[in-house]
Amino acid sequence: MSDEFILDARWLEPPEPMERALAALERARPGERIRLLIHREPFPLYELLALRGWHYRTERRDDDCYEVLIFRDGPA
Amino acid sequence: MSAGAGLAYDQAPSLGLPLAYFLTAPAFLFLAALAGLATLPDWLDSRWSPAALALTHLLTLGFLGMVMVGALLQMLPVLLGRPVPAVRGVARAGWLGLGLGTPLLGLGLGRGEPVLLLAAMIVLLAGLAPILIGAAWVLARARGQSWVAWPMRQAWLALLITLGLGGLLAGGLAGRWAVGDPASLTDLHAAWGLGGWVLILVIGVAYQVVPMLQLTPAYPTWLSRWLTWWLLAGLAAYSLAQVQDDDAFAPAAMAGVVMVALAALAFALATLRVQQRRRRKLADVTLDFWRLGMASLIFCALALPLLERLPEPARISIGIVFLLGFVASVAKGMLYKIVPFLAWFHLQAQTGARAGTIPNMKEMITDRFARRNFRMHLAAVLLLAPAPFLAAPLAVPGLLCLAAAALLLGRNLFSARRLFLAHGGRL
Repeated sequence: MSDEFILDARWLEPPEPMERALAALERARPGERIRLLIHREPFPLYELLALRGWHYRTERRDDDCYEVLIFRDGPA
Repeated sequence: MSAGAGLAYDQAPSLGLPLAYFLTAPAFLFLAALAGLATLPDWLDSRWSPAALALTHLLTLGFLGMVMVGALLQMLPVLLGRPVPAVRGVARAGWLGLGLGTPLLGLGLGRGEPVLLLAAMIVLLAGLAPILIGAAWVLARARGQSWVAWPMRQAWLALLITLGLGGLLAGGLAGRWAVGDPASLTDLHAAWGLGGWVLILVIGVAYQVVPMLQLTPAYPTWLSRWLTWWLLAGLAAYSLAQVQDDDAFAPAAMAGVVMVALAALAFALATLRVQQRRRRKLADVTLDFWRLGMASLIFCALALPLLERLPEPARISIGIVFLLGFVASVAKGMLYKIVPFLAWFHLQAQTGARAGTIPNMKEMITDRFARRNFRMHLAAVLLLAPAPFLAAPLAVPGLLCLAAAALLLGRNLFSARRLFLAHGGRL
């Protein structure tokens, strides 16, 4: 099981969630995944992830927030 | 659940396309202020005077058209997941059509010049047809999120009706064909343009951008599902009654007007309510633009059912409050969020910059300069709203404020462009 970094960006003003997510990706150790909590589905972030070679899997939670798992290789 | 390797960055239009629209918009606001000064006191006398018609179109097609079409080109692919086909060509055609056709129309209406009216009609329709077709292509194929797509589709239909009626009227004024009842058709053209295209599109866009950019709760689901249908039904009832040319249908026309007014009122109150419940209660100048916009819309909605009974100066005043107080305020409020966001986003995507090395949204356009624009805009609205009741020279200060506010908007938007380019961005 690889490391996971939880980033709570709920109710931050755009584009701060994206800025924080990108900063977390820059700091990520090899194999580390980021679990981003956010209040809206971050469509523009997906484009920035693609440009940097990251993958994502998004799930909507019961409280209407989203969990975006960001990873390099298989989500495992 | 959604998953993937991200949307393709090149699916969204490059920054240069919407930015060309957004940067041109303030020029039309400035032009409207100058034209207002040059044609005093003509437009204060009648809302159907050549000067008033020219000014209205500089504002609606020139300023608002540029903002709205630019925003649509940007938002349709993001919201509906499909790019506008041949977006570069479509965007350039629309920009040229609006940019050249609007001044021609303004001159043609102002001077009653048939050749200019005809040229304006051809340039506008040729430029806007690709936009209408491109948007129809995207809207017809929108998947899943019907509640996002429906207000856009309804606004599209209203634009089509507005342009059709406008073309019919312009051709009639140019002497190309006979128009049966121009006064009644002009009312319909204004109703579908302002109550349909403008109001429905603002509502549809607000459902997306207000919660996203101002961190408010979502609009109530029942409202966002049904409000624009109700509005459209009101417009349809008004239009069908209006074309009957029979006094027996007057109550039906009035019922349609009341439905439109209630829809506008519900939207304005719901917007103020969600904004009041926003998550972070920080001062935000775009919120002030929206509040001014919603207060103006409430004023217009309350006055709308009385419009036919009010004296002419009151009608012109309501038109000023609608166009400058409501629509221009909301358009500016959106521009001050969308332009810095797009500049930041495209810079980030293009340069892959490390966090903190490129200007953030608040640095792209500083709050201080945006607030200066808000104050000047507010002064323009407050000074121009009573102008039709006053002596003509008293309209001058308001028009000067409007011109200054247009220059401030242009300056602020250009500063975002300058920073974007200075940090290595490509348009």
